[in-house]
Amino acid sequence: MGATAIHTEGLTKRYGGVAALDHLDLDVSQGEVVGFLGPNGAGKTTTIRLLLGLILPSEGRGEIFGLDCQRQPVETHRRLAFVAGEANLWPSLTGAETLHLLGRVQGQVDEAYRDELVARFELDPTKKIRAYSKGNRQKVILIGALMARPDLLVLDEPTSGLDPLMEQAFRHSIREARDLGQTVFLSSHIMSEVEALCDRVGILRAGKLVEMGTLTEMRHLSAVSVEATLDGAVPDLSGVPGVSAVQVDGRVLRCHVRDSIEPLLKVLATAGVTKLLSREPSLEELFLALYGGYGQGGETQS
Amino acid sequence: MRTPVPIGRSPGRVVADLTTRRAVRSAIIWGYIFGIAIAWSAISYTTIYKTQAQRDALAAAYGSNKATSALFGPAPQLQTVAGFTVFKISMTLIILGAVWGLLTSTRLLRGQEDNGRWEILLAGQTTRRGAAIQALGGLGIGVFMLWALTAVITVLTGLDSKVDIPAGPVLYFALAMVAPAVMFLAAGALTSQLAPTRRQAATYAASFLGVCYAVRMIADAGVGLHALIWASPLGWVEELQPLTSPQPLALLPIAAFTALLAVVAVRLAGNRDVGASTVPDRASRRPHLRLLSGPTGLAIRMVRPTVVGWWVAIAASGILFGLIAKSAGGTISGSSVQQVFSKLGAGGTGADAVLGVCFLVLAVLVAFLATGQLTAARSEESEGRLDHLLVRPVSRSSWLGRRVLVAIAVLVVAGVGAGAFTWIGAASQHAGVHFTTLLVAGLNLVPPAITIFGIGVLTFGVRPRATTIVVYTLLGWSLLVVIVGGIGAANHWVLDTSVFHQMASAPAVQPHWEANGVMTAIGVAGALLGGFAFRRRDLQGE
Ligand SMILES: Nc1ncnc2c1ncn2[C@@H]1O[C@H](COP(=O)(O)OP(=O)(O)OP(=O)(O)O)[C@@H](O)[C@H]1O
Ligand SMILES: [Mg+2]
Repeated sequence: MGATAIHTEGLTKRYGGVAALDHLDLDVSQGEVVGFLGPNGAGKTTTIRLLLGLILPSEGRGEIFGLDCQRQPVETHRRLAFVAGEANLWPSLTGAETLHLLGRVQGQVDEAYRDELVARFELDPTKKIRAYSKGNRQKVILIGALMARPDLLVLDEPTSGLDPLMEQAFRHSIREARDLGQTVFLSSHIMSEVEALCDRVGILRAGKLVEMGTLTEMRHLSAVSVEATLDGAVPDLSGVPGVSAVQVDGRVLRCHVRDSIEPLLKVLATAGVTKLLSREPSLEELFLALYGGYGQGGETQS
Repeated sequence: MRTPVPIGRSPGRVVADLTTRRAVRSAIIWGYIFGIAIAWSAISYTTIYKTQAQRDALAAAYGSNKATSALFGPAPQLQTVAGFTVFKISMTLIILGAVWGLLTSTRLLRGQEDNGRWEILLAGQTTRRGAAIQALGGLGIGVFMLWALTAVITVLTGLDSKVDIPAGPVLYFALAMVAPAVMFLAAGALTSQLAPTRRQAATYAASFLGVCYAVRMIADAGVGLHALIWASPLGWVEELQPLTSPQPLALLPIAAFTALLAVVAVRLAGNRDVGASTVPDRASRRPHLRLLSGPTGLAIRMVRPTVVGWWVAIAASGILFGLIAKSAGGTISGSSVQQVFSKLGAGGTGADAVLGVCFLVLAVLVAFLATGQLTAARSEESEGRLDHLLVRPVSRSSWLGRRVLVAIAVLVVAGVGAGAFTWIGAASQHAGVHFTTLLVAGLNLVPPAITIFGIGVLTFGVRPRATTIVVYTLLGWSLLVVIVGGIGAANHWVLDTSVFHQMASAPAVQPHWEANGVMTAIGVAGALLGGFAFRRRDLQGE
């Protein structure tokens, strides 16, 4: 791991007594691709806007490449680019004009790469922003950030509104960035996106960082899901250690197992198993397990 | 499955409810302002012009004065409280009412739509046509409230033994004062269907108002074109002649015009997509990259269409004022008359004195230009576009500083243009007013605008969400004080709060360089403090 790209110490933002972000300590190394997850209102956007100096912390501080986010915004912004999910641009400018403007303001543009991105995202840059669909507007913002090839990409739900093909183009571009050693900080609700791209994942809940680690590390904390097809009656699993979320569908049994799978196997062996599938949880399942709440314990489609 | 329970009393009428609530709320505020302005005018007349001799002198001064007639409308019966009140206040209320109408309807029709709220409402129970009809109904209830409050306060004023105007004519007078609001509510409803955004809808309607005012002005300027009065909706209002020689037949064109606008608006609403415009908006073009190299160029490019519009309006008004200055000035050369005229803020003789009053109108236009610059800057922030600049290597102070400089340049050009174009008009009539005098008078218009702008920047730095309301309140207040208080009745503490009162009526008198210096200093200090505060606050949306 190289030097730090993002570093925060007790970063806190309160709105009228309510903490939208509560003493966040976060470190992202240079060259890492880090995912940032959390339910609506968890404080992801707040964190990002604090790092960008768009809002001021109530307490604590943040650094980007060792520069203070609040006191040296211009210097930090020279090395980063930002994409927000809610795209408001100047309606009377065309896509090309907007990209030109953003490039000039940024002060650095890889023009060949910009043209490549325009082609990759199939953007018609002669259209006015007013006439673009939501997804096309999002592409303008994405290209505007990627074309600068900054050291750090800060992305807040960058693919909102993009179709699946464009989602692929986005992932391709992020991998390119990572291969060039750029750091990526990606907040997203699309779990497959985070799973496919990120080295590490942080999970925020009610303003607090509840989990931070690689996907492998996080999977160890969580249950494995098991699907067994039996030829006899389904045995009672209530006493088996580590088993939860049991679902029976005819002769098919689904459940989660934590720690060792051995006790479960012993019970199933006596019941006559014809088929056994075990699968590590997807990030989406991890996420749902962590948050509990809606549909807790229910199996998600896989 | 549970069946969904409708929220509120009547789901099918949600647009009507929403529009009514908002229109009525703002109509109540403006109804008070209308009523109090009328009462203030009437009562100040009875306290200043106590004797018949004084009243006759006043009538002799203004009765056939073409300059004031062009600006404020004719003044047939200045010997009476009623006649004076109509002359003194009606043009102000006519303009305010029209502006209220067009802003309210574009805000409630187009603004809601731009925010995407109509899509939510329409997805429910109503069609687009239905929604437009409901909104118009809501606006109608709002304007009725405006009329009712104006009428009630004026009737109460009329009960005063010195004012003594009976209730019947007062109700008709209130109707005349609200008629422009009605017509421009409808006009705003129509432009809301034509334009692609709320801002543009309001601009279209405001330009139409400008044309109406200019046409009426030419008709009243005593240059033999009085028949033109029937070509302007504001002329119809004038022809109602409330309190002097009522002519209710003029209500016919007003009603017909309003109905026509409303019907066309509803038709168009039914025929277009939500969020789309009727006037074709070219979707693509080859890139024009000029000016797009940084925040300054962007600011210039974004404000350019509106600023050019205001510049043209100021230049056109200047030419018009210049054209009428000499002939109108001829009517006020008597010495007793000058004294009265100077109470309106204009000393001097002839064309100079007329232009002194005319430049007040130009000062208001320049001030509007200043407020427009500020609200444009604020909407860059509230609509999130500013984020794209500030997350790049652009500091907050440099962004705001550039916008302030652009705004000041815009104001100075407007001031110079006001002077220069007035000179062109005056010179063509051989009015004998020097170019430099008018140029200085034009620059004299800038400090009040800078004061309003600076206080606006301060508000922007400290309480961004209040920016728009603070600058427009300041401007409206200053205007009301100088017009209603100009006759001499108002307390000087009140008068001093008006930036237009602080401004000397150049070219009728020499500019007060000291007052201008103080106003500029207030503006600059406000801008600096505002910039300082802006650096240490959160960016804030709507
Ligand atoms: N300007 C504000 N005033 C008051 N509260 C705010 C403001 N901005 C954010 N909040 C609150 O702060 C909390 C965190 O919001 P934030 O936008 O950071 O959430 P998020 O994680 O980005 O959610 P989402 O996934 O929906 O984008 C929320 O409870 C929100 O209501
Ligand atoms: Mg968010």
